[in-house]
Amino acid sequence: MGSSIVQVSHLDKYFGRLHVLKDISLEVPERQVVCLIGRSGSGKSTLLRCLNFLEEPSHGSIEVDGIKVAGGEKGREHRQLVHDIRLKTGMVFQEFNLFPHMTVLDNVIEAPVIVKGMDRKAAMDLAEQNLDSVGMLFKKDEYPMRLSGGQKQRVAIARALTMEPRVMLFDEPTSALDPELIGEVLNVMKKVALEGMTMLVVTHEMGFAREVADRVIVMAEGELIEDATPEDLFKAPKDPRTKALIDRYRSGEQ
Amino acid sequence: MPLPFYLFLAEGLNPMNLFASKESGTPKTQAELLFEAAQRKERTFRFNVALTWGILLLLLVYLFSGPIKVDADFIKENMLFIAGGVGETIRISILSIILATILALLAALGRLSTFPPIYALSTFYVSLIRGTPLYLQIMFFFLALPQLNIRLPGLWAGVIALGLNYGAYMSEIFRAGLASVGKGQREAAAALGMTPSQTMRRVILPQALRFAIPPTGNEFIAMTKDSALVSATGFVHELMWRAVKVGRAQFHNLEALIMAAIFYWVMTIILSYVQNTIEARLAKGDR
Repeated sequence: MGSSIVQVSHLDKYFGRLHVLKDISLEVPERQVVCLIGRSGSGKSTLLRCLNFLEEPSHGSIEVDGIKVAGGEKGREHRQLVHDIRLKTGMVFQEFNLFPHMTVLDNVIEAPVIVKGMDRKAAMDLAEQNLDSVGMLFKKDEYPMRLSGGQKQRVAIARALTMEPRVMLFDEPTSALDPELIGEVLNVMKKVALEGMTMLVVTHEMGFAREVADRVIVMAEGELIEDATPEDLFKAPKDPRTKALIDRYRSGEQ
Repeated sequence: MPLPFYLFLAEGLNPMNLFASKESGTPKTQAELLFEAAQRKERTFRFNVALTWGILLLLLVYLFSGPIKVDADFIKENMLFIAGGVGETIRISILSIILATILALLAALGRLSTFPPIYALSTFYVSLIRGTPLYLQIMFFFLALPQLNIRLPGLWAGVIALGLNYGAYMSEIFRAGLASVGKGQREAAAALGMTPSQTMRRVILPQALRFAIPPTGNEFIAMTKDSALVSATGFVHELMWRAVKVGRAQFHNLEALIMAAIFYWVMTIILSYVQNTIEARLAKGDR
């Protein structure tokens, strides 16, 4: 697939002697929304974090938008490639990780100004545009402490988008939220997806996976055990572990 | 004084309670009543504490106005001379805390280094300074260095000794400050493409320094008192040195030391108040 924007080949990750990702290969075409599901400990978050080298892969390689980085290497050249790949990817964390000593607006313009050297005024315009699109412009001068979890996460999404990444990575973006706040974040994510962003989302939100994803990948014990459209996956799961996951979601729904 | 009477006195005299009991209007809910009872208890406690402080102070004043003879003339004559040391004490404390803060920060950053010589330099410095007495360190700069033909001006020798000493102890504060910034902050910065040094300057340090401000205030207060040790060298004419000088000369050490004690105490109370205000403001701040 020549048009893939993300290519993972033969990725292995060890934590000490623990083999958490086992020879994973994966291609994601541009504009695709991929949900990664699986029980905790299945390796789905680790896989996501390997994509922008928050975890250094042990073997294998990652390619994002033409930048190919081999895992398990060191040195100046490697660091530069990791830096380049991080500029291609935006990440949203479970715990938001906004900078508590900066206002909402400063959180969003920080990296464009400091990392990309963008003109402050231009960064502010872009930031305000993105804050507006996640519905958080009215809080631009507040500090994160004064925001709800859902609001923080929406700011975090705007912050990642303002770096103008090619791919957005979401690591359980709604898992730390009170149930009534999950909807507002999922709606923003849906909006980002509809605008054509390539997205990889680690989530437990089956409803979101079913409604928004183009493709759902199921992980278990460090392997990709199923890879299908949401329709096929929810209708006819092939692997018994996928079936168990979906059954549990269905029983929780009622 | 029998305690029940004391408590009764406090309840009855406490103007805040008198004032509070006059409030009336709509009937109060049980929660409000419970809250008020708790408030009353708290106020009574604080009042009793203040009352006891007053009694203890009066007792001290009484002691020195009768049973313990002090020479009022001596106090009057030397008041200005001793008070003149306050400025010098504050000056040496401020200069030393600045030096100490810089050293503490460097030592704390050194402890984060993965480069062995830097890490070793930091731990070596902290170990050496914490393993020897402050008094010895001060004497070293005043008495031992001249033997090597290094003669520092009195004030600077004191500042360097105090700064080096406090820097070693304060490095723990900054280390805790740096550790207080969660891993998520580094990851967020890294994911945004910030380099380690950008992350340190823009994300970690501002949060760590904020964490370190209140304990640094405490160290400053402690430093104003430890600066008295510098007087032993005879080269810095701060509070303690002046008290000892006039006290010895006229054999009125009692009066002289009491005066110095009062100056130190008042300074400490004022600095603690400033420190509490800063701490309270930071606590309800933007974090």
